[in-house]
Amino acid sequence: MLAIEITLLVCLLGVLWRLMRGPTPWDRILAYNSASNRIVALLALAAVIAERGALLDVAIVYVTLSFLGIVILARFMERSGAAR
Amino acid sequence: MIAWILAGLGAVFVGIGTLGILRFGDVYSRLQASGVSDTVGTSLIVIGLIVHGGWQRHDATLIFLLLILLLTNPIATHSIAKSAFTRGYRGEDES
Repeated sequence: MLAIEITLLVCLLGVLWRLMRGPTPWDRILAYNSASNRIVALLALAAVIAERGALLDVAIVYVTLSFLGIVILARFMERSGAAR
Repeated sequence: MIAWILAGLGAVFVGIGTLGILRFGDVYSRLQASGVSDTVGTSLIVIGLIVHGGWQRHDATLIFLLLILLLTNPIATHSIAKSAFTRGYRGEDES
């Protein structure tokens, strides 16, 4: 259980490195998508371990808002916005 | 036991996806690595948490979270790929 959480945190740090240093904006949107997925998995793990059901509602709201943000950012980059 | 095996397998998939995101040299290759392995890894972790501890009260919420993840993750990946392709990015950089 602790090993899975540590693995997810290390993966989150690696993805955040790609978000900090992506050459193109699509790399940053992709890294944001992956980071939000790992954060949702960590929230679900914490909710089941600590027996707190409210964290699952937080996870559902988080995944919905991050999906909306990613789609809106991708559509913005499709229409206009800086190329680099 | 089965819950830990499923969640550990999901963590392995997430680690492979992170390695792909860090090491591939193109936006589309990184999309391939992140989209597929993130969907499978996160879904396996949530399925392992559903199996964990038998039927409990928060399992319905976890199933709803699994359905939302399976629905929204491929849509986000497709949206990013369509955005990059429409803007004329053909994968010419390396790093």
